[in-house]
Amino acid sequence: MKKYILITASLILGVFLVSACSKSQSNEKKKVAVVISTLNNPWFVILAESAAENARKLGYEAKIFDSQNSPAVESDNFENLISSEFDAILFNPTDADGSVSNVLRAKAAGIPVFCMDREINNDDAATSQILSDNYSGCVEVGIEFVKALKEKGTYVEILGLVGDNNTWARSKGFHSVVDKFSNLKMVAQQSGDFDRNKAMEVLETIMQAHPNIDAVFCGNDAMALGAYQALQAAGKANVKVFGFDGASEVIEKIKEGKIVATGMQYPKIMAKTAAQYADEYLKGKRDFPQRVPVEVELVNTANAKNYK
Amino acid sequence: MLTAYNLKHINYQYFTFTVQHSTLIKSLNHIIVLGGCSLKKLITMKKIIISSVLAVVAIYNSIYIESLDDLKQKKDSNFDFAKYSQDLYQQILAKSQAVELSQLLSSFAENDHANIAKYGNRLGIGSSAYYLVKCQAKILEVQGDRLKVLAAGNRLLDIDTKFIFGNAIRDASGLVKLTDFKTTAEFNKISESLNTIIREKAIPEELKTVKAGDTIDIVGAVKLGEKQHDLLNLSVLPIKISKI
Repeated sequence: MKKYILITASLILGVFLVSACSKSQSNEKKKVAVVISTLNNPWFVILAESAAENARKLGYEAKIFDSQNSPAVESDNFENLISSEFDAILFNPTDADGSVSNVLRAKAAGIPVFCMDREINNDDAATSQILSDNYSGCVEVGIEFVKALKEKGTYVEILGLVGDNNTWARSKGFHSVVDKFSNLKMVAQQSGDFDRNKAMEVLETIMQAHPNIDAVFCGNDAMALGAYQALQAAGKANVKVFGFDGASEVIEKIKEGKIVATGMQYPKIMAKTAAQYADEYLKGKRDFPQRVPVEVELVNTANAKNYK
Repeated sequence: MLTAYNLKHINYQYFTFTVQHSTLIKSLNHIIVLGGCSLKKLITMKKIIISSVLAVVAIYNSIYIESLDDLKQKKDSNFDFAKYSQDLYQQILAKSQAVELSQLLSSFAENDHANIAKYGNRLGIGSSAYYLVKCQAKILEVQGDRLKVLAAGNRLLDIDTKFIFGNAIRDASGLVKLTDFKTTAEFNKISESLNTIIREKAIPEELKTVKAGDTIDIVGAVKLGEKQHDLLNLSVLPIKISKI
């Protein structure tokens, strides 16, 4: 009898332990990784924090990984998060070509990747890519540029990171307009790596060879602010500066008439959409559009009051 | 080993070089004979070296290194954007799925979201959409590269014949899908090609036939936001202008 009671008690205890264990497993939050090209730029900090915040709101544990603009660091980040068994990745790549292998590794490990803002050159690696419509945005900046310069003058273009598709989408959109006006001459085109200080240094150097420029087009607002600083220091407040991003500091400068125009991007919308897509994927959805463009709006002196 | 190679051309950008294999094998023969080893060892060594050389040659011939710029150019040149855009331009004109401008603006005035969505085309996420519109109007003034026209309902339109750029016409047509192209860059190239046909060929020819006071038919593209407040002063990108 005692033996039977002991066996029954053991069985009940066993069932209890198994059920408790499975309960604790189902209560464990799924993990979403937010891998960002750099956190050394306020725009990407907003993108990263919004993505993580949206993932948390949807009930996931979220962790931000900084790739420090280095494909090697990005690769290490992917290795870590694959071995740590993250369930989804919200990804802002460092390089359109170089980041493809990382996305493919995650895909092979069964982890869906949702690209934010920056495109990778593969339409079968990421589950979906939510991207700013950089080209259209810079077409509008280009038209504003031609009008502001009254179709003539010399200018400098400061590009972003050369390995990033956004750099070229912006440059191509801008040049698709400006190059049709033969009296607008580009005297220098150099990379400022999307970095404020580097853009400032690049423009200072360019101005030694070309002191009489009329305008500067920058691939992002951080560089536009760097260019503005360089122009201020050189006493060239009349040179027209154009940016891209919609940073609040630049919006203020547009209101003050110090910067001419920028393209307003929506990092929070991209981050929210990526987090929503990841949530839908983890709940079973599999059919996602490969590329989702997010509208960019032109901000100039006429409409800057509508933006913060 | 490199000394046995005849390096014809090394360029850090293109990474191309040519190896003269026969020169390499002759040099190795000299090295082996001068070494003073036993014949058996020499034969074995020779075999190993020749096998290694053959392996290197096989690997060298199976790898081709090319600059990314050249590759990109080749990829791009595979697709005839000009022809595709010419066909697209003809399709836009032939299908004439454009909505009457007055009908579209009534839908906006009445907040008729169902019709607004039906007439417009938006590729992704945003507050604006592109619309393919048509209307009849009287030319009030020809201002260089712009026409000021008066359409039905005393609506003043600005027909911008100079700044025909961007994706407005491609997207308003609703005839090209993002998934038709592998990259966003290719997708945007369609717009550039299509715009060039309209801006540099079609419209300049059509403008030669019209003057202030004429009544014209216009097919064009407009971008309107969800909360478009100013419906009176609209700017239309023309696709076709024809005198009545």
